[in-house]
Amino acid sequence: MSNLDSLLHGFTVALTFHHVLLMVAGVLLGILVGVLPGLGAPNGVTLLLPLTFSMDPVSAIILLTSTYWGALFGGSTTSILFNIPGEPSSVATTFDGYPMARAGRASEALTFAFMSAGFGALVGVVVITLLSGFVTSFALRFGPPEYFAVYLLAFCSFIAFGSGAPLKTLVSICLGFAFGAIGMDSVSGEMRLTFGLDDLIRGISFLVVVIGLFGIGEMLLTLEEGLEFRSVGGRLNPREVLAAIGRLPRYWLAMLRGSCVGVWMGITPGGPTAASFMSYGIAKRMSRRGSRFGTGEPEGVIAPETADHSAGTAAMLPMLALGIPGSATAAVMLGGLMIWGLNPGPMLFIDRADFVWGMIASMYLGNVVGVILVLATVPLFASMLSIPFTVIGPIIVTVCVVGAWTVASAPFDLWLVVVFGITGWGMKKLDYPIAPLILAMVIGDKAEDAFRQSMIMSQGSLGVLWASPLVATLSTLAVALLLVPVVSSFRARRRRFRPMEEAAPSE
Amino acid sequence: MLTRFRLELIACGIVFILGGITVLGAMEHAIGWGDEGPATGYFPFRLGIVLLVASVLIAMQALRNRAEMAGEVVLSHAGARRILGFFLPLVGYVALAQVLGLYVTTGLYLLVVTRWIGRHRWRTCVSVAVAVPVVSWFLFEVWFTVPLLKGPVEQWLGLA
Repeated sequence: MSNLDSLLHGFTVALTFHHVLLMVAGVLLGILVGVLPGLGAPNGVTLLLPLTFSMDPVSAIILLTSTYWGALFGGSTTSILFNIPGEPSSVATTFDGYPMARAGRASEALTFAFMSAGFGALVGVVVITLLSGFVTSFALRFGPPEYFAVYLLAFCSFIAFGSGAPLKTLVSICLGFAFGAIGMDSVSGEMRLTFGLDDLIRGISFLVVVIGLFGIGEMLLTLEEGLEFRSVGGRLNPREVLAAIGRLPRYWLAMLRGSCVGVWMGITPGGPTAASFMSYGIAKRMSRRGSRFGTGEPEGVIAPETADHSAGTAAMLPMLALGIPGSATAAVMLGGLMIWGLNPGPMLFIDRADFVWGMIASMYLGNVVGVILVLATVPLFASMLSIPFTVIGPIIVTVCVVGAWTVASAPFDLWLVVVFGITGWGMKKLDYPIAPLILAMVIGDKAEDAFRQSMIMSQGSLGVLWASPLVATLSTLAVALLLVPVVSSFRARRRRFRPMEEAAPSE
Repeated sequence: MLTRFRLELIACGIVFILGGITVLGAMEHAIGWGDEGPATGYFPFRLGIVLLVASVLIAMQALRNRAEMAGEVVLSHAGARRILGFFLPLVGYVALAQVLGLYVTTGLYLLVVTRWIGRHRWRTCVSVAVAVPVVSWFLFEVWFTVPLLKGPVEQWLGLA
C-alpha cells in the first residue's frame, strides 16, 4: 500500500492554501485560454511558464497542470456553444454538442461534457497512481542506453501512430532536432549551427517556437476564415444541470470505453486529439444509437470528452516517468521540468517523491475544482466571445509577443515568433504535425547526449542498445514501431480505404 | 490564389534549404564516428541529409498527386487579404518594438489594428490601446517583476 501512503503524503503537499489558490487561478486562466480561439492549452501553458521560473517546482507544476485542465474544459465550452473548438482535442465534441445546444439542450450538453470529462480525468489519475509505484521498481536500472531507447521509442511511436503522413512527421521531428541542436553542444562545448550569429548562441527556445506555431499560427488560420461567433446562448439552468447529472450514470459504458481509449492514447504518445476522435468513432460503431450520432446524441458528447481528458491526464505519467510527453502540452511541461532543474525519468519518483506525489494529488483536486469552476463560470466566459474578434484577436497577438519576450528577454525572439507563426500556418495547411517538432526540440539534446554517453560507455558499439533485457525490449519495440507505417500503407493500398485517420487533424 | 500543390512545393523548397543549411553547418565540425562514438557534427549532418531526402520525396509525392492537389485551394484571394491585413501590422509591431520597446508599441499596434482593420469607434480603440499596456505594466513590472523591453518613451517618463 505504499502508493496510498505516498498519495496521502502528496495531498498534504497539494492541500495548502497557497496551492489551492494556484489551482483555482490556473483553472480560471486555463478556461480563458481554452475559450479564446488562437490560445490553446500548449500556448497557454507556454505563456505562463516563464512566470514560474522563480516559483518552487511543486507550485509551478500545480499552476501549469491546472491551466491545462482548465483549457480542456474551456475548449469543450466553445465547441458546444459556438461550434468552434477552442482546442484541437475538442473538435469531436462539436459533432453532437453543437446540435444539442441548438436544440435548446445547451445546459445538458455542457453538463454531460464537463462531468464526463471530470470522470475521464479521474480514471486517468487513478491509473497514474496505480502505475507510479511500479515505475520506481525499475528506476535504478535506467542508464544512458535505456534513456536513449525510450527517447527512440517516443519518436518511433509518433511516426507509427501519429495522424500525419510518416514522411511529414519525419520532417517535423528532424526540423525539431535541428532547431534544438542550435547553440552549444553540451558534450563537446562547441557551437553548432550558429553560423557566427550572436543571437543563435543561446539556441532557439522551444517556448518561443510554441508561441509562434500554436499562437500566431492558429490566429492566422482563424482570421483567414473570417471568423464570426454565432452563440446559442451560454445560460446554464441549474435544474437542467442537476437533471443531467442524474442521468449521467446511464451512460456508464460510454464513459468507461472513452476512459480506456483515453488512458491508452495518453500513455502511448497518441495524445488527446487522436484519443477523442478514436473514442467518438468507437462509440458510433458500438452504440445502439450510433446511427443518430451527429444529430445531438449525448453519447456523442460523452465519448470524446472522457477520452480527451483521460488522455490529457494519463499523458502526465510517461512525461514524469520516462520523459516522453503524450501531448504537445505535456512536451511544454517537460521542458518546464528541465528548466526548474528536475530531471524527468524514473529516478524522479525516488529523488523528488514530494514533487511527483504532490502533482498527482493536485490532479485529483484540480479536476474536481475544474468541474465546479467551469460550471459556475460558463456564462461569464461565453459572454466574452460577444466581444468582436477584431478586438480580442489583436490583444491575443500582443499577449503572444509579450510572452515571447518574457522567455529570455531577447528582441530577436520576437522575430522568431513572426517566422514560426507563418510556419505554423503552413504546417497546419499541409498537415505537417506540430507536436513531434516540439517534442524533438525539448528532448533532442537529451536524446543525443544519452546516445553519445552510451557510445562512450560501450566504446562506440551499438550493441549497448541490446545489452540488457530492459534496453533490448525498448530498442526492439522502437524499431518494430517503425514498420507500422510500412505495413499499414501496404494494407491501405490493398483496401484503399482509411476512414479514421483522415478525420483526425494533427495536434 | 494558392493551390495546395504550390504550397506543398514551397514547403519542400524551404525544408530542402533548411536541410542544406544544416548539412553546411554540421560540416564546420567533425561529422564522423570518433573513438568514443559520434562526433559533434555527426547528428546534425545526418539530420540535414534526412531533411534533404525527405523534402525531395514529399515533392515527388506532390507531383504524383498533382491533378488532385492543383484543384485544392488552400488560400483564396479574400483569405490572403485578411491574412496580410493581420500579418503586416504584426511585422510592423515587432520591428517597431525593437526601437520603442514593448509597452508603447503594443498600444500603437492595438490602436492601428482595431481602428483600421476592425473599424471600431475611436473610443473603443483608444481604451483598448491604453488599457492593455497599463495592465501589462502592473502584471509584469509590479506583480511578476519580469521587466519588459522598454524604449526612449519610458526613459523620458523616468520609468526605465
